[in-house]
Amino acid sequence: MNSIYRPQEAVIEDVIIESPNIKTFVLRPKQEFSFRTGQFLELTLPGVGEAPFTPSSDPNIKDKMDVTIMSAGKVTRALHNIAKDTTVGIRGPYGKGYPLDKFAGRDILIVGGGVGLAPLRSLLLSLFADIDKYNKVVLRYGARTPHDIIYKGLIPQWSKIKKVDLALTVDVGDPSWKGHVGLVTTILKDLPLDIKKTTAIVCGPPIMMKFVNFKLLDLGFMPQDIYLSMEKNMSCGLGKCGHCRMGRYYTCKDGPVFTYEEIKDIPEIWD
Amino acid sequence: MQETYYLETQKLAALISRLKEEFNVFVPALKDPDFTKEQDYSYACYADPESHFVFNPYRTVEPLKMFFTNPLEKVAGYFNPGNDAPAARKTIIFGVKSCDLAGHKVQDFVFLEGVEVDSLYRLRRENTIFISSDCTDFKSVCHCLDWEILPYPSAGFDLNLSPLNEGYVVEVGSNRGKELIKQYQIYFIPAKEAQLAARKVKRENLVGRLKKHLFPQNLVSRNIVQRLMKEGYNLDTWHDFMLSCVECGGCNFICDTCHCFLLADTAQDNHNRRLRLWDSCQYANYARVAGGANPLKARAQRLRFRFTKKFDFFIDNLGVPACCGCGRCIEVCPGKIDIREVLKDLAKKLNIRDE
Repeated sequence: MNSIYRPQEAVIEDVIIESPNIKTFVLRPKQEFSFRTGQFLELTLPGVGEAPFTPSSDPNIKDKMDVTIMSAGKVTRALHNIAKDTTVGIRGPYGKGYPLDKFAGRDILIVGGGVGLAPLRSLLLSLFADIDKYNKVVLRYGARTPHDIIYKGLIPQWSKIKKVDLALTVDVGDPSWKGHVGLVTTILKDLPLDIKKTTAIVCGPPIMMKFVNFKLLDLGFMPQDIYLSMEKNMSCGLGKCGHCRMGRYYTCKDGPVFTYEEIKDIPEIWD
Repeated sequence: MQETYYLETQKLAALISRLKEEFNVFVPALKDPDFTKEQDYSYACYADPESHFVFNPYRTVEPLKMFFTNPLEKVAGYFNPGNDAPAARKTIIFGVKSCDLAGHKVQDFVFLEGVEVDSLYRLRRENTIFISSDCTDFKSVCHCLDWEILPYPSAGFDLNLSPLNEGYVVEVGSNRGKELIKQYQIYFIPAKEAQLAARKVKRENLVGRLKKHLFPQNLVSRNIVQRLMKEGYNLDTWHDFMLSCVECGGCNFICDTCHCFLLADTAQDNHNRRLRLWDSCQYANYARVAGGANPLKARAQRLRFRFTKKFDFFIDNLGVPACCGCGRCIEVCPGKIDIREVLKDLAKKLNIRDE
């Protein structure tokens, strides 16, 4: 009998160290597995447990995918200790992902915080693949310290792509850091965008999303033009186990990406 | 057109003995008989053909969901899974009540609908026949009528038994029920008008008695309950009632509609197993994420979460509140937290009365 809770096999083809506590795992699923950008999967470490992650790679690449993981809990700590060629499990994809068709013809602002850049990388790669469809893509990324910046090698390449405008900041600098210091909200001034024609996509820790969201509203963004990735305890991914409920929604099934308009009346969404 | 039959009391035992050859048969049994107290009934596997069939006048202690999901069970093996065939023998359950059937709609909604179907649940559901029965009495905590659920089943069963003095009126509620009657037709005769009339009188009598029992309680009705959740979100009711909560999770586990579960993995003898465990939103770590954030840190938030799930989420998503008025959560709670009293307190503080 086919169980909806059973994972399929994927082999870890490579492990890339992104920061002291973040690694990117390159997975090769044994059976075909495709996803839309912003959808997530449940990744199983056999016998240990599973946890939800949004792939960080280009969804147009079908044979492999990247998952960028911060060591935070039981499963992710154990994942950080595995080597190449380990077999892991994947289930999914789940959730709705980013509605790219609604982004066409618009200015796109992407605001990332910390490991929150991981799902946004998948989105950026999708946008870059069809860059003519969008007016421009503005990325604003903040990390805690220079060591915590992920995809360090990719960021200079991205900034060379036409129509792309990119800026970084760190909360706390170090002697080698020559860039901007301050929370990500401090680099949201004077955005080279037509705010009325802009869609904003935000992903990061809940506290960062909260402040970015209210900053964007101050700047004149409409609640329906702000997309937020909600972090909840998504266990089954199927809208059955109950844990990720937010008001009338399940984060896993109805999200995990919501517009602020959809969730603004639900109390305590940032907790 | 209702299809109804009559089954004599003495033929029921013979029928059950025959059914036992083909099915696992569960029947109600008296639990710890003590006639100084309200009696409790529990499902028991029917084993002894000589034993008397006990008619439960009201619902059992256990919720119906325990036949379809277990407190702890394997739901998948993976990568060298070992023996993976789930056991799901054909089962007949006697003694299911109207509240159970109403509550079970929520379980069906969760596991049979949505993004994907839970195939283990569906297999068990397909292999299980409900032979429900009218209530002939009620427990002091019973309040089905408050949620517009009658104390006798009108849908969701395969066969329903309504007791008369010498036997039962049997109503067919599904094709499976119809087939069962056909297969065991020697036990049944068509019901007479007088028997249906007697059933009607008995049903009306019980509804009348239950109304009398509920009227002085001044319960909150379905019309206003969702408003209470929205407008009463920040009231201190949640804090006041949680003070006696010991976080045992009993209210969730005994509930006909509560369905939350955890997935957990183990490895034994090189077989990886995925387990499903009933979970409770009253537990401190229910909503905690790996990074440590917990949107339901306080007990008051968790009590409110339990209520908003029942009376806000399910009204939005299924069109009915996820409470069938069985009162099991009231009986089980060591902290004496009473679902009826919580709702009444909200209505009182908000000064919202039923129109």
